[in-house]
Amino acid sequence: MKNVSLFIPCTVDLFLPHIGEATVTLLRRLGINPVYHEEQTCCGQPAINAGYQKEAQKAAKHFIKVFGDDEQVVSPSGSCVCTVKYHYPELFENEPEWRRRAEELAPRMFELSQYLVDVLNVEDVGASFAGKVTYHESCHILRGLGVSEQPKKLIKAVQGTQLVPLNAAESCCGFGGEFANNFPDISESMVKDKVENYLSSGADLLLLCEPGCLLNIGGFLSRNHPGKKAMHLANFLAPNGREGQ
Amino acid sequence: MEIQTEQFTAAVKRELQNARSRAFLKVMPPVLNMKRDIGLSTFPNIDAAQAYGAAIRQEAMARLPELLEEFEKNALANGAKVFWARDAKEANETILQLAKERGVKYVTKGKSMVTEEMGLNEILSKNGIEPWETDLGEFIAQQLHRPPFHIVGPAINVAVEEVCDLFMAKANMKEPTLDPVQLGYAARLFLRDKFHHVQMGITGVNMAVAETGTIINVENEGNIRLTKSSPKTQVSVMSLEKVVPTMKDALHMIRLLSRNCTGQKLTAYVSMDSGPKKKDEIDGPAELFILIIDNGRTKIYQDLKARDALRCIRCAACLNICPVYGQIGGYAYGWAYSGPMGQVLNPLLLGLDRTQDLYRATTLCGACKSVCPVGIDHPSMFLYYRSKDVLGDPYWKGKKRPSSEKRFFKAWISAVTRAWLWNLGIRMVRPLINKDAHDGVISKMKGPFQGWFRTRDLPAMAAKTFHDRWKEIKKI
Ligand code: SF4
Repeated sequence: MKNVSLFIPCTVDLFLPHIGEATVTLLRRLGINPVYHEEQTCCGQPAINAGYQKEAQKAAKHFIKVFGDDEQVVSPSGSCVCTVKYHYPELFENEPEWRRRAEELAPRMFELSQYLVDVLNVEDVGASFAGKVTYHESCHILRGLGVSEQPKKLIKAVQGTQLVPLNAAESCCGFGGEFANNFPDISESMVKDKVENYLSSGADLLLLCEPGCLLNIGGFLSRNHPGKKAMHLANFLAPNGREGQ
Repeated sequence: MEIQTEQFTAAVKRELQNARSRAFLKVMPPVLNMKRDIGLSTFPNIDAAQAYGAAIRQEAMARLPELLEEFEKNALANGAKVFWARDAKEANETILQLAKERGVKYVTKGKSMVTEEMGLNEILSKNGIEPWETDLGEFIAQQLHRPPFHIVGPAINVAVEEVCDLFMAKANMKEPTLDPVQLGYAARLFLRDKFHHVQMGITGVNMAVAETGTIINVENEGNIRLTKSSPKTQVSVMSLEKVVPTMKDALHMIRLLSRNCTGQKLTAYVSMDSGPKKKDEIDGPAELFILIIDNGRTKIYQDLKARDALRCIRCAACLNICPVYGQIGGYAYGWAYSGPMGQVLNPLLLGLDRTQDLYRATTLCGACKSVCPVGIDHPSMFLYYRSKDVLGDPYWKGKKRPSSEKRFFKAWISAVTRAWLWNLGIRMVRPLINKDAHDGVISKMKGPFQGWFRTRDLPAMAAKTFHDRWKEIKKI
């Protein structure tokens, strides 16, 4: 079995561990052996976004020490992948050796749906779901990584599932890490728009690939529309799978 | 114009309650984005056209001092007089003096962001010289004493009823009407009269061509043209980054600007002035002054990273796509420049200490960057400002962050770099976080994270983190 290294972001580790479990299930079913380094922590994105560069550098060095020798690293979070791919090299402007290591790691980082479709060349993971779903394009996945077709291909290949369009699928849900907490008025207004578009899409389920967006949209749904659900793509694809694929 | 960037949060609250702005924001940005898409699709290769624009502006910034010298030399040779102003005060004084020397009673103005930045209208009014904005939207905003809502359509959000009342009150109009055409006509008649006797016109500059010493303005109403050709004296105010190397560059930038701004291939009017009226010409101003204003740009220029902000051509594409602007509109930014371009520019012009909310009120979603025709990477600029702010950087007047935040990140980083401490920390924090959890959901929390819980729940912290679960998963 081919090994792939797993990066589980802190949001998933702490609040949404089922996304991590689904990721493992999915990869194993596709004949991949996920390896989890127990020394991993957080990629440092919160520090970068808050402007704490020095702290972010330390987090980046830790990450590079843990993952630097892996052939491929896959993560169920596009924004963390962006952090490693694009922000790490910038963090080490004055440390050429670390910069080199960051740049070498960058092309080996993959977001989950990107890894499945672009690297493993899989679209049909053998899952089934009877109903309508819609897909929210997370900013870092769409604009950061240019990943948009991949998750849609995976969804379309799910037996019984109809993918319906989401109005303004590309506009931000209003998470933005500290933004959601520090500017609750604007953030609320944004997530409300997102949820209204979801409700009027006619879908039974909102799918996405970013844990941050899930905390935001899911948290808003839980408070205001308890009957409606948002779900990470990994959790959508992992159950009901035809074993032994 | 009074600078109100510090009142961002209060203005946001107000504007989110403003039914008129809200209704308007639901409609306007999507329409403008659609127009932009259609406009851009007339390029054979959109990406190449935008990249070419970015390259032109990058070159202009790399060669800025030399291009400005070349521009000045050629503008002088064309017969224009060139003034340099270090800051708004100097620029305003220069214009005031020109007006006083000529015994000017009032001036007409073409829409200009930089004179908003300078607060020129207030200075002129205080000194008994009435400034008349002639762009319809700017005219309305001026009469209502409001900052621009949008850099392209300053009063685009004002209701026709309000415009009608305004025009009646200011005696521009005899009969009330809600017909926009009639309202426009009333404003036009009123301003025509002003143009008739005007002695001095003041406009901004969209592009300055180093190679030829030409200044270029784009517009759709023709008022800038009138402001530039009716009076004997024309004053064109340009912030120093407006220069481009060649006429060919300028033409491409106009194509990009029009398409990104209003979706037009070209605006209805494009005026190019190379000096005042020549002997054998029948119209144009007898004297042309070009006022090149710095007002903090040299300081921006000297910081290689910040310099990118000077590329901006004020097309407003980033405003129309920005999800934050799309909720709050232009007033909350508190100054001439709003939306992502305001968030990039205002902190450099006003200082990081006065604009903390601007570079933090963003989700870093990158929509602005994806449309910008000159290649500004707004999110990366915001991160740069934040990092300078954290350091309390004196050059950009960083304010430093609250000590509680600093302590948080200190503790956080010592755990991030030691997995055992990280996992121990999680075990210690869990009961505190989950204190108010019911059925696996936290609905309220006091303290620094309460903003989140105003409208959202949070799943309770898992009894077993993924890290804990891995010990079992790996055996399967
Ligand atoms: S920053 Fe905004 S206004 Fe300036 S050029 Fe880019 S998209 Fe246009």
